[in-house]
Amino acid sequence: MMRLKPLTTSLLFAACAALAATSCIKEEAPNAEADIESCTLAGDVLNRDPIIENDRITLILKKGTDLTALAPEFTLTPGATILPASGSTRDFTTPQSYEVTSEDGRWKKRYRVEATTSGMTTGTFRFENARMDSNGKYQIFYETDAAGAEILTWASGNPGFALTGAGDDCTDYPTYQSGTGYRNKCLALTTRRTGSFGTMMNMPIAAGNLFLGTFDVVNALKDPLTATRFGIPFEHVPSHLRGYYQYRSGETFYELDRSASDKLKPVPGRKDRFDIYAVFFESTDDRKHLDGTNALSEENPNILAVARIAPEKAVECDAWSPFEIDFVFREGKQPDPAKLAAGKYSLAIVFTSSFCGDRFEGAPGSTLRVDEVTLEYE
Amino acid sequence: MKRTTITLLLTALALLLGCGGARAQQDRTPGIIRSALMGLEYEVRAGINIGGASPLPLPAEIRRIDSYSPTFCFSLEGDVIRWFGEKRRWGLILGLRLENKGMQAGARTKNYGMEIIGDGGERLKGNWTGMVRTKYRGTFFSIPLLAACRINPRLRLHAGPYVSFQSSGDFSGHVYDGYLRENDPTGNKVVFEGDRRATYDFSDELRSVQWGVQAGVNWKAFKHLTLSGDLTWGVTDIFKKGFRTISFDMYPIYLNIGFGYAF
Repeated sequence: MMRLKPLTTSLLFAACAALAATSCIKEEAPNAEADIESCTLAGDVLNRDPIIENDRITLILKKGTDLTALAPEFTLTPGATILPASGSTRDFTTPQSYEVTSEDGRWKKRYRVEATTSGMTTGTFRFENARMDSNGKYQIFYETDAAGAEILTWASGNPGFALTGAGDDCTDYPTYQSGTGYRNKCLALTTRRTGSFGTMMNMPIAAGNLFLGTFDVVNALKDPLTATRFGIPFEHVPSHLRGYYQYRSGETFYELDRSASDKLKPVPGRKDRFDIYAVFFESTDDRKHLDGTNALSEENPNILAVARIAPEKAVECDAWSPFEIDFVFREGKQPDPAKLAAGKYSLAIVFTSSFCGDRFEGAPGSTLRVDEVTLEYE
Repeated sequence: MKRTTITLLLTALALLLGCGGARAQQDRTPGIIRSALMGLEYEVRAGINIGGASPLPLPAEIRRIDSYSPTFCFSLEGDVIRWFGEKRRWGLILGLRLENKGMQAGARTKNYGMEIIGDGGERLKGNWTGMVRTKYRGTFFSIPLLAACRINPRLRLHAGPYVSFQSSGDFSGHVYDGYLRENDPTGNKVVFEGDRRATYDFSDELRSVQWGVQAGVNWKAFKHLTLSGDLTWGVTDIFKKGFRTISFDMYPIYLNIGFGYAF
C-alpha cells in the first residue's frame, strides 16, 4: 500500500490539475445586447410613461409640448453606445431613429422613437395595412391617415406566438391579414395550437387577438394576462363601435389541463365564441393601462364605459354580418371635461377569436374575420 | 460497413476473453501457466467512473458552475495482456469494457447561443442568459488498446487509445430563471421565472462512436487482487458532427477507479 499511495495521489493530482487548468471560468465577455432600458425627458412634459418596446419607443406628451426640440435621454445596456448621443436635441414632428451598438461592437439595433401630443386621431379601422415584423415572421396591422402616414399601430399576441416556432408562414399565426374582406382586405384571427414549446409552457393554444395598446413580450411567459396592455390615449367620449364580421368555431373546444400530456381537455359539445369589446377608462398613476386581469372587471374603478358584443350575438356566421355595440357607462361614471382635455382618458378595443383565449381555452381553428370597423364618438 | 466491423471486433474479443475464462474454469492452473509461458495474462476488473462531459476550455458563455454530481457510473472490464521480450517489461493490453459515463450539472450562462427543435419541427433559436441544468448518461462498449510498462513485479503503468461504442445515451435538461433573446442578442427579450422552464433532449444527437486516450496505473495488492486507476480523456465531441445547438464541443473526461482479479 505504501507504494500505491503516492502514485495514486500523483495520478489524481495530475488529473485534477489538468482539469483545473482547462476548465477555469473565463473572463466575462463584453455585453452583446443593445437595449434602450429607459428614456426620460427634461421637464414635466410626459402624459404617460414612455412605451419602450424592443425596437420602438413611443412618447406620449402633454398638450402644448414643443415637438420640434426634444432631447430624450436614454440609459442603455451597460457598455452600449447610441447615435445620435443621448440628450441630443431633435425635431420629433416626424419619428426619429437611433442606433444602439452593443458593448462588444458586434450588434446594432435601430430604434424608432416617436412623440405625440394627441390621442388616437382616427375612428375608422380598415385593416388594409399590414407590415412584417423585423424578423419577417408575422404581420403588424396599422392604420394610415388620408396622406398615407401611419397614425395607429395595432398590437397582438403574435410576438409571443413567434417564440413557439409553430408558425411557418405569417398566415399560420393567430393574427393575420386576409384578402377576402367585407371590403378589400380584412383582419383574420384564428385560434391555434402552439406546438411542443407552447405546450411545455402550459400555453397549449393561442387565440388570435388584436387590440389597441402594446404587447409586453418580455413578460409573456411570466404573466401572460398582464402582457396584453390595453389602451391608448383618447380625448373624446366614445358612443358606438360598429363593423362587420364572420365567425366559425373550431371543431373541439378544449380547456386547459396541466396534468395532460398535451395540456388540453376536450369539452364535447361546447362551441367556441369570439369576443369584441371596447373599454373607455381613466389612466391613473397606479393604473396606467388595463390588462387581461382587469379590463372587464366590475370592480375596476378606472373604467367609465364598456362596449361588448352580447354572447347571444357572437354566433357563427359564414356571411359578412354587421355588428353594432354601444358604450354603456357605469353607474356614477361620467367623463370629466378637464381630464378629457388633459388627455387622461384611454380607450382599448379588443378583438379575439376565442373569448377564453387569455386563459388558453378555446377551439383550435376558430376563425373571426373583422372589417370596416368604425368608432363613433362625441 | 461500420456496424459490421464493430460486431466482428466485439465477437472476436468476446471469444478471446470467453475462451480464456472458460479454459481457466476447466483447467485453471495448466491453462494459466501455459498462457504465462507465452507472455499472456488475463484480468477482470470492476470500477466506477467519476467525471463529466465538458467543453474545453470552458467557453466565456459559462459564467458559473452551480452544481455538479458525478452520479453512479460503473465499469466492468476484461483485459488480455501480452508481455514481450525476456524481461517482459513491455507489453500490450487489449480490453473490452462495459461502462456508464454520466453527470448532472447546473450552470449559469450569459448570452449562450442555442437552437432547440421541437417535436413538431418547431424551431426556437436565440441567446440564453440564465440557468441551465444538464443530465448526461451514456452506456458504452469500450475497447482500449494500451501499451504497458512493468515498473516492478507488482506495479504496471499503461497508456494508449480507446474507442467507445455507445449503446444508449441520454443528454437532456432544462433552462430556467433567466431570459431568452429571440434569434440574436437584439431580438425580443422573454423572461423565464418561477416554474417557467424549457426542457430539451439532445439524446438523439449523441454520437455512437467516440475516441479517446487513457493512462493509468495497476497495482497488484495481493496475488490475484489488483487496484487500478485510469484517466480516460475523450478527444471526440460527444455530439454528432453538424449538431450546432450546443455551439462548443464537449469532451468526456473520467477517472476510473477499480479493483480486479488477475488470473
